[in-house]
Amino acid sequence: MSAAPASRATSRTAYAVAALALLAFLAVPWVGISNNAIRLLLTTFLWVTTSLAWNLLGGVTGQVSFGFAVFYGLGAYTAGLSINGGITPYAAIPAGGAVAAFGSLLIGLPTFRLRGPYFAIATIGVNEAVRIVMSNLDITGGASGVRLLQAGRFSQAEHYYAALGVASLAFLVSWRVMHSPFGLALRAIREDQDAAADVGVHPFRLKLAVHALAACLTGVAGGVFAHYTAYIHPDGVFSFSTSTSILLMPVIGGLGTLSGPVIGAAVYSIVQEEMVVHFPQFHLLLYGALLILIMLFEPGGLAGLWRRLARRLRGGGP
Amino acid sequence: MGLDDLLNLFVAAILLAGIYTAMSIGMTVIYGVMKMVNLAHAGFMMLGAYFALEMSQRLPIDPLITSVLAAPVFFLLGIATHRGMVRFVPVADEPTLPSLLLLFGLWLVLQNFGYAVWGADDRSIFTPLTMATFRFGGIVVPVIRLIVFGIALLSLVALHLSLQHTWFGRSVRALTQNREAGQLAGIDTGRTAMLAFGLGIAFTGLAGALLANLYSFTPDFGGSFMLRSFVITVLGGLESFSGVAIGAVIVALIETFSILVVPANYQHAISFILLVVVLLVLPGGIEGLLQRWRRLR
Repeated sequence: MSAAPASRATSRTAYAVAALALLAFLAVPWVGISNNAIRLLLTTFLWVTTSLAWNLLGGVTGQVSFGFAVFYGLGAYTAGLSINGGITPYAAIPAGGAVAAFGSLLIGLPTFRLRGPYFAIATIGVNEAVRIVMSNLDITGGASGVRLLQAGRFSQAEHYYAALGVASLAFLVSWRVMHSPFGLALRAIREDQDAAADVGVHPFRLKLAVHALAACLTGVAGGVFAHYTAYIHPDGVFSFSTSTSILLMPVIGGLGTLSGPVIGAAVYSIVQEEMVVHFPQFHLLLYGALLILIMLFEPGGLAGLWRRLARRLRGGGP
Repeated sequence: MGLDDLLNLFVAAILLAGIYTAMSIGMTVIYGVMKMVNLAHAGFMMLGAYFALEMSQRLPIDPLITSVLAAPVFFLLGIATHRGMVRFVPVADEPTLPSLLLLFGLWLVLQNFGYAVWGADDRSIFTPLTMATFRFGGIVVPVIRLIVFGIALLSLVALHLSLQHTWFGRSVRALTQNREAGQLAGIDTGRTAMLAFGLGIAFTGLAGALLANLYSFTPDFGGSFMLRSFVITVLGGLESFSGVAIGAVIVALIETFSILVVPANYQHAISFILLVVVLLVLPGGIEGLLQRWRRLR
C-alpha cells in the first residue's frame, strides 16, 4: 500500500484541493440547493467521519472491528440524553465522543489480547451483547428508543456545519496520524506485530490509543446524528448492520489511505440514497458482492483501482 | 425446583448438543484444512433453513426427511463456492483478514439474497410432529428434537467413518495437523481443500435445515448460531473433531441451565458474552486448559 510521505509538490496540491473542497462545502447552504441535497451531504459527512475513524484502526493498524456501532451508539445516546437533560449540544456532542472513547478502553483492554481475526470475531460478540444490554436498560429508554426534546434545536444549516466540522476534524486527525511517528508505528503493527514489538513499538498500548481515537471520532459522529434525527433506538445505532456499514465503506474505498475512506463513504451514501427506497435489500447485496470482488481482485479498494487506472492511462507500468 | 425439572433440562441440553455439534463441525473442517474462519456460516445455515421450507412446501414427504437432502445439495454448493472464489484467497497457517472479509461479503450477499427472494417475514415449518412429545418417567421429550438429534448423530458417525477410513479423510486429518508435512507427503491440497469446504458447507446446510424444523426463521437466521459455533469450536480447540462435541455439550448445558438464573431479556446475550469470555480466557479450548493445569502441577 502506498503510504510514503508525499513529496512537497504533491502535498501542496493536496492542501489546495482540500482547502477548495472545504470552501465549496462551506458555501453549500448559501447557494440555494435543495434541503434534500443538503441532507444527503450531511449524511455523507457523518459516514466520512466513521469511515476515516474505522480506517485508523482497521486500515492503518490492521485490526478489523465489527463493533463500531457500539461507539456510534454510545455517542448518540450520550449526546441525546445530555441534550434532553438540558445540556447545550456544543457540550453534549463532544461528551458523546468522550464516553465512546472510554467505552473503547473497556472493550479494548480485554479484546486486544487477541490477534487479527480473533479480535474481529470477538467484536461481533461485543457488539451484539452491548446492543441487547442497551435494549433492556431503563436509562436508554429500552428498545423503544429516545426522542430528543426540541430545546436548543439547530437549523438544518447548523446541523450541516456540525457534520462538516466533524468530518473535517476526522480528516485532519487522520492526516496528522498518518504522517506522524505514531502512524508509522501503527503501520508497523499491521505489517508484523512481533517485529514491531522487537524494535520498541508497544502494540497493545498503541492499539488501545488508536482504538480510543477512532471511537471518539465515531462517537462524535453518533452525537451529531442523534441531534439531527432527534430520535434514536438501540436497533438502529447499536445494530450489527450499522457496524457492517461502518466497516464496508473504508474497505471498499481503500484501506490505509486518506482518500479511500472518503470515496467509500461518498459512494455508499449516494448508492444508499438511490437504492434504499426501491430495493432496500439490494443495497447490501451489492456491497457484499463488491466486498468479494475487492478482496479477490483489488485489495486497495476503489482508491487502488483508481490509482491503477491512472497509471494505465499515463502509459506507465502495470 | 425438583429433580425431574433438572433432569428435563439436562435431557434438553443433550438433545441440543447433538444439533450444535453437527452445526459446528462444518466450521472445524474448514478451519482445520484451510485455516479460514467461515464467516459465511450463518448465510449457508439460513439457506439450509429455506431449503427445508421450500422442500416441505413442494414435496409431500416429512420435512425432516427432505432436510437430509440438504447435505448433498450444500456439498455441491460448497464446492462451487470454493471453485468460484475461496480458492483464490492465499492460504496461510493462520486465519487471514482477506479470507475473513471475503466470507463476510459472501454472508452479506446470501443474507440479502434471502431477503430479496423470501422477504422478511418470520417463517416456520409446522407438521403434526412439531408439538408431539412422549413421556419417559417424569421426563418429557419432544419427538422432533429426538429425531433431529438422531439425524445429527448419524451424520456425525458418517463423518467420523469417512475421516478414519478414506484417503480423503486421511488427507483432511494430515493437513489439519501439519499442512507442510502433508504437502511433502504428496497430498493434493487444492482438491482436499475443495472437498473439505464442500463437506463443511454440507454440514452447515444440513444443520440449518434441521434447525428450521425446531425454530422459526428469517433471512437473518444463523447469526447467533454462527457465534455459538465459534464458541464451540474454540472450546473444542479449533481443529479437534472430538473437541467440538465436548464444546457443544458445554455450550448447550450453559444455555439451557442459564434460564434458571439469567432474566429472559438477557438470554440472547449469553452466546455473545460466552464468545468473548471463551476467546479471552480459554483461547486454547478445553484441551489447552487441561495442559495448563498439568503443567502447573
